[in-house]
Amino acid sequence: MSAATRIAAKDLRLRLRDRSAIIIGIIAPLALALILSTVFGGAFDAGSLDLHYGIVDLDQTEISEAFSGALGEIESQGILTVTEFSDATSAETAIEEGEIRAYYLIEPGLGEAVFSQQNFTVEVIGDIDAPTSAQIATSIAEQFGQGISTGQLSVGTAAVLTSPPPALEQVGIWAGKAGQADQSFTMTDVSAETRQLDQTTYFAASMAVFFLFFTVQFGVLGLLEEERDGTLPRLLAAPIGRTSVVSGKAILAFALGMISMTVLVVATSLPPMQATWGAPLGVLLLVVACVLAAVAIMGLVASIAKTPEGAGNLGSIIAVTLGLLGGVFFPLGQGDDFLSKLTLLSPHAWFMRGMGDLAGGAEWTAGLPAAGVMLAFALVFGSIALVFLRRRLWQ
Amino acid sequence: MKVLAIAINNLRRMLRERSNIFFVFIFPIAIILLIGAQFGGGVDPAVGLYLGDDGRVATEIATEIESDDRLSVIRYEIEEDLVSAVERGHIQGGALLPAGMDEVAASGEQVDIGFVARPDGFGQQLQQVVAAAISRVMTPVTAAQFASVETGADFFVALDVATSGAMPAPGLSVETTALGEAVFPDTLGQFDLGAAQQLVLFVFLTALAGSAALILTRQLGISHRMLSTPTSLRTIVVGEGSGRWATGMVQGVYIMAATFLLFRVNWGDPIGAFLILVTFAAVGAGAGILMGSIFKNDQQAAGVAVVLSIGLAALGGSMIPAELFSPTMQNVAHLTPHAWALDGFAELVRRGGTTADILPELGVLSAYALVLMLLSAWRLRIAITRP
Repeated sequence: MSAATRIAAKDLRLRLRDRSAIIIGIIAPLALALILSTVFGGAFDAGSLDLHYGIVDLDQTEISEAFSGALGEIESQGILTVTEFSDATSAETAIEEGEIRAYYLIEPGLGEAVFSQQNFTVEVIGDIDAPTSAQIATSIAEQFGQGISTGQLSVGTAAVLTSPPPALEQVGIWAGKAGQADQSFTMTDVSAETRQLDQTTYFAASMAVFFLFFTVQFGVLGLLEEERDGTLPRLLAAPIGRTSVVSGKAILAFALGMISMTVLVVATSLPPMQATWGAPLGVLLLVVACVLAAVAIMGLVASIAKTPEGAGNLGSIIAVTLGLLGGVFFPLGQGDDFLSKLTLLSPHAWFMRGMGDLAGGAEWTAGLPAAGVMLAFALVFGSIALVFLRRRLWQ
Repeated sequence: MKVLAIAINNLRRMLRERSNIFFVFIFPIAIILLIGAQFGGGVDPAVGLYLGDDGRVATEIATEIESDDRLSVIRYEIEEDLVSAVERGHIQGGALLPAGMDEVAASGEQVDIGFVARPDGFGQQLQQVVAAAISRVMTPVTAAQFASVETGADFFVALDVATSGAMPAPGLSVETTALGEAVFPDTLGQFDLGAAQQLVLFVFLTALAGSAALILTRQLGISHRMLSTPTSLRTIVVGEGSGRWATGMVQGVYIMAATFLLFRVNWGDPIGAFLILVTFAAVGAGAGILMGSIFKNDQQAAGVAVVLSIGLAALGGSMIPAELFSPTMQNVAHLTPHAWALDGFAELVRRGGTTADILPELGVLSAYALVLMLLSAWRLRIAITRP
């Protein structure tokens, strides 16, 4: 057993006996992941919309039935459900009771208006707190309306481009043809894989990585505490290399981080949370890379702080800021705006991104890019920290 | 006034610590700013847009989709970036407009537009909204294709005619009305909701974190030394309590003033808002002193403080408004003082209430404060006098 591992093993025993590390490393993230996933999961289902619509058809003509038919077609694709109501009052009650999100009100006269080329208004009445559902309902009706006006516009355009103006008979032929003509566009589904964590796993992962930075602090701060308590000179007087003293603390920090993350991954996989972490090898890779990055960053903080308290405070500020930036409480940034680019400076963000890449049953190799970035963080900050700490020990 | 001296000393100790300046004053404002920027004014569903070229049809479709103020539209320069953003859940879905749509349309063929959505989420439903916008642009294109075939006119000439507006208006218009009273009315400012939520979260967090200072006071024997002076136990207990309460008040008033000045946050009736803060800070002070008297190790207390204050805040609606919870979870939420304070702010800010309207909330908060204060006074007496 080398001096470094002996120092680490001694400190590890001490830290595990002091319950603080267990509270920060295991109990806090576990409790918060459980609370947050319960609160957020109960509030709404991970970004899905339940589209329940109603229709009140007071027109009862060929056209209004064609509209119901168009709705039925979308319903058969599993995108929404439609319920018929006999009058507006019962549909409104259904909205108030949360049974439907919006309903279509087709007053009498739609069929007649279409045949006589008059304007007609279909009403969409939606729950004020579900604007997206009402908007989708409106869009469906608009598309139906566009289908009707396409025919009218086609005939009208052809008529304007003909001189002298076409005979009534020609217009009739055009109207027949335009009714049969295809729309000028189609939409094709481009399949996309899921690379996003479900709500429960998101909070299991985000709380684990958030508290990881505080947990490894227990390790790296040990050096400053030995300095403060006067045990460091004694340690240095022993036939032990300075690098061994520093690596002893680094090994301890790494061990604490790995214990905390391993316990959390296993515990959150069990009931009641049952988080779905991805391919085990990929998860292990990301966890190791992330713990190394955390040790390096917190080690750098320790190397520039004067006292353990100062390092603790600065470390907390950095851990909280990087965590917030990395989206441990809520995802930050939209699309590829400035804020989204800023998040890439946070190892937390890369950890969450890597876990997302593993979601949806991807191979373990999907975690490689994010793990690589975190290892780069570890290498850069770790080397600087090592230089600073060694210099400090010489003085 | 020894009570005042102890209280002021507590406050001074808090302000001297530089990291406290960050966590008490800078961090809450930063979070309010970020939450307001990200979620303020409701979250519009986000869709991505990729244009294969900047031809006429593509540009018109892009303009039409972007003019929909219920959608948040993000353009992507690279097709793969859009697909990956959908996969990562940054956007709900995205439309891929292929290159050469003008030529395809002019030749009378159908343009094929790709739509990226995930099997989960609501991208597929959102496709209807994008399709409606596309069909508004493509209706004249369909008409121009028809007319150009039938009359032999040039496609783009026909398109000019079809889009000139000389044609009869669309046969069907759709009117949307909203039913009911909005939980979050449009008058709610971008930062209003987040400011109240973070105020209660941070005032409580600071109060609980203050338990570490109390533990240190006991560990260092300051409490014992105070007792050896002609200072009654009652004075020390009240002084420590006032110190924690004053810390909460300083932070609360600061957050209210700063968010009002920086982000024009509406706090509603000032007296009502102040009273909520007074009672809520007292609840926090009581909880902080109670923790400070029960725990012996300040690091353990700090860990438990973080869990309790973030956990209770989440349950009480400081992260997602409790109004969006299921009925069961709403009942659970109202076991926390946070939910009552936020109800009070909602009454003042969203419904224009006055102090009289928030009496029930103030009553509940006062009851919480009283019970916690009595409990903490009892525990603190024991903790200080224990040899």
